[in-house]
Amino acid sequence: MSDRWGRDQVLGLAPDTAAVKAATTVAKPAKWARAGCDEQAVWGECAGSGASVYRTSADLAEPAFRCTCPSRKFPCKHALGLLLLWSDGTIDPAARPAWVAEWLDARAERAGQAERSRERTAARAADPETAQRRERRVEEGLAELGRWLRDQVAQGLSGAESASYQAWDDVARRLVDAQAGAVAGRVRELASIPHGGGRAWPERLLAEYALLHLLVRAYERGDDLPPDLRATVRSRVGFTVPQEEVLAGPRVRDHWYVAGSHDTEQDRLVTRRVWLRGRATGRPALVLSFGAPGRPLEASLPVGSLIDADLAFYPGAQPLRALIAERHGPPHQGPPGGGRVLDLLDEYAAGLARDPWLDRWPALLAGVRPARADGVPHVVDDRGDALPLLGPVPWRLLAMSGGRPCTVGGEWTPAGLRPLSAWREDEGVILL
Amino acid sequence: MTAWSDHVTTALLGTRRRPLPPHPVLAPALAGGPAANAPAGTGDAAAGALLEQAALLTVRRRAGLLPGTAEPIAPAPAESLPPAGLAAAGRLARILAGEQPRMLAEWLDAAAGRGLRVPAPLLPDLLERGRSDRALRPAIARVAGRRGVWLALQHTGWAYLVAESGDPGDDPEVWQTGTRSQRVAYLVRLRGDDPAAAREALAATWSGEPAPDRTAFLGTFAQGLSPADEEFLEAALDDRGKDVRQLAADLLARLPGSAYGRRMSERARACVRARERTVRGRRQTWIMVREPEEHDEGMARDGIPFHPPGSFAPGSGPPLGARAGWLREILARTPLPCWTELFGLPPMEVACLPIADHTEDVHVGWARAAIRQHDAGWARALLKAAVVTERADELTGLLGVLPAAERETAGADLVRRVRWMDEIGEMTLLLDRLPGPWTGALADAVLEVVEDILTGRAPTRSSRSDHLVLSRLCERADRWLDPAVAPRLEALAARRPDHQPLTELTEALRFRLDMLRELDE
Repeated sequence: MSDRWGRDQVLGLAPDTAAVKAATTVAKPAKWARAGCDEQAVWGECAGSGASVYRTSADLAEPAFRCTCPSRKFPCKHALGLLLLWSDGTIDPAARPAWVAEWLDARAERAGQAERSRERTAARAADPETAQRRERRVEEGLAELGRWLRDQVAQGLSGAESASYQAWDDVARRLVDAQAGAVAGRVRELASIPHGGGRAWPERLLAEYALLHLLVRAYERGDDLPPDLRATVRSRVGFTVPQEEVLAGPRVRDHWYVAGSHDTEQDRLVTRRVWLRGRATGRPALVLSFGAPGRPLEASLPVGSLIDADLAFYPGAQPLRALIAERHGPPHQGPPGGGRVLDLLDEYAAGLARDPWLDRWPALLAGVRPARADGVPHVVDDRGDALPLLGPVPWRLLAMSGGRPCTVGGEWTPAGLRPLSAWREDEGVILL
Repeated sequence: MTAWSDHVTTALLGTRRRPLPPHPVLAPALAGGPAANAPAGTGDAAAGALLEQAALLTVRRRAGLLPGTAEPIAPAPAESLPPAGLAAAGRLARILAGEQPRMLAEWLDAAAGRGLRVPAPLLPDLLERGRSDRALRPAIARVAGRRGVWLALQHTGWAYLVAESGDPGDDPEVWQTGTRSQRVAYLVRLRGDDPAAAREALAATWSGEPAPDRTAFLGTFAQGLSPADEEFLEAALDDRGKDVRQLAADLLARLPGSAYGRRMSERARACVRARERTVRGRRQTWIMVREPEEHDEGMARDGIPFHPPGSFAPGSGPPLGARAGWLREILARTPLPCWTELFGLPPMEVACLPIADHTEDVHVGWARAAIRQHDAGWARALLKAAVVTERADELTGLLGVLPAAERETAGADLVRRVRWMDEIGEMTLLLDRLPGPWTGALADAVLEVVEDILTGRAPTRSSRSDHLVLSRLCERADRWLDPAVAPRLEALAARRPDHQPLTELTEALRFRLDMLRELDE
């Protein structure tokens, strides 16, 4: 039963901390009856308040959950509690009862239907008129953004420090109206650069303005761009590619190591970035998910595990964002692989050459030790190449490594490396 | 000035005020584009060119970034203790995350007792906990391992661990240069091995130590206290520091056979006498009691305060009065052999003698003396004679003096007796103070109480008082009740699934049971 998940992995599925607490109170063997598990699923019946009994089951592959309780949280505390018990080894293998088998069959069938309907939708072209109308609005919106950016630079950025957030919000709102959502989000983030303090704000702001302006110009060039680059530009602007289309494209199968997961929040919408690295192909991938507070995010990719799956990449000059198209088994454990600091920087440079707006890149550094330079935490590899770390001092990384080499997974940005996980043969994986 | 900083400066001031910097890559003649055509300083076109050049520079800078250098942190020394197992570590992580937070101290103590250390990734959370909770620090120091100290050296907030685990060893240097707590630790250790050497070390620096330090150092005499310490303590009765004087008197009171003891015996015998009396036709020895008339300097020097605790503002009941308070203090400090000599009887029979007046004061005084002098014979006698049944402090103190094996049965008797008296106040007080762990017969007695209440078999006046007792019991029991009884308690609790404190207790016990098992794995 070594392939049962760890507690962390189970609790990582919880939509919020209250759910974690609730789940631990439900995770009592006494509360459960007729619990069992097999290769694919875990199930049980939980005595709820009063006379009610809830039937809870979890499909481990996805994972997916079903519970007859009325909770709106997902997964509910019963599903989490059940998985906690299973993780503790309290639940023994058993024959699958009929209600679980039915559910799993229904799921398999729905998956098949979804596949077929996807094919149908992909075949059906979107309404050309609506599409054209949107293109025009985006064009106008971006043209206005271009003028605004040039105006900022013509007047001088020195005023930005005293400008209110409103200035950026207004621009962002007009971009939302113009249906260029991705650019709008970027613009809204910019306000924090001059307001966040830090001596280097003028150069950071100029860099961001310059890249936005580049995006505006690139969009203007339309079909003159190579198709892949065109796809990159359109996705950076805010055009989404339907999932069906992505899934219909080519797929890459590998054992994907989950190097880290990072949540950011903007306007009460949480974005979760899960960074993957193919162990055989070495390919980086990013699985994005979005959720309003209290809603579940992508939780089926436990950090530190390997996922044998087909990934379908979104089109672009530097494909990175991907969907899990098909899994070939539950998450398993294994050494993550990883490279040196220079490998990472070379890779990122090559990525930039294809997509100049690339500002996040999955890092998986093997054999790095914690280090310091001018009081700033770094990691340094066996050749002495060091990268600065972002965020607070990573005490857990320090504690776990004890100053010895380990494998660090994280998110590389031009400002530094955000460490998200660490692995050592003798300690296993930890989240940072 | 680099091309980039040139662009940044221009952007800051604005292209209306500052000319466009030269193109960073292309020669001016080849640059083309808007910048070449539009004269610099005319706004939109120049601004556009600046942004384009800046974009080029930004991507170039990002792509061309080179690794820096940094000083690796010196590796931690190898550990000498094995780490707690996976399951135990997972349990600790849960406790640190807020599940059953009160179990943290027990987990740490249990791990330390088994010679285990905390797995490294959990150290930051644990050290952070010790930052706000000083009481946990010694236990943390025992399980943090060398990695813990290594880590603490890098975080000012965790520096306490370095001091806490600052192993004084046998290095006498510590006594000269260490902090107060290090010096206390040194003395405690030395008292354990060689009390005389510890006393001499302290005597050498005694007069130069500030009063709070003298108090702290004198406290170490509790370890290995013997008649050899008497002279030192006797001298400390005249110390400048009030706390030092009080502590010296309290320590002397634990040394039967000292001059202090003889002085106290003299005072005691002035108050308590034996007399043959015939009451209702029965002739037997009675204890006659007279309160001390006044408080003198000798009494003050020997640690009997003019206002003894409880003489004016007692915790319960009417004020005691100063004279009764003095009486209790004297008796509590009088060597117990004084009484067996005076009456010519063994402790059990002395404890049962009738007392003409001030019965409670005498019994309380004896009980306190037995506790202070760690006299198991007297403790047994007083518990058997059931003389201080309404004083949870003294009762539980007496229990603490008994050998562990005897403590269980005596504790069980006590619980049953108080339960039968049906005084909620007494029961809750008893539960509050009953020394743990509650194992064996004592655990049985506690479970009986639970069962009685749940089945309504109890000799109670009201179910409300039962509920209070049960809730109180549950609160205390989660810490002390032997986790091995968890299955029995679970069977009981199954009858009342709606009883919240009971449910919590069973969960806590199950948690502790699993926790201890995991540490044994």
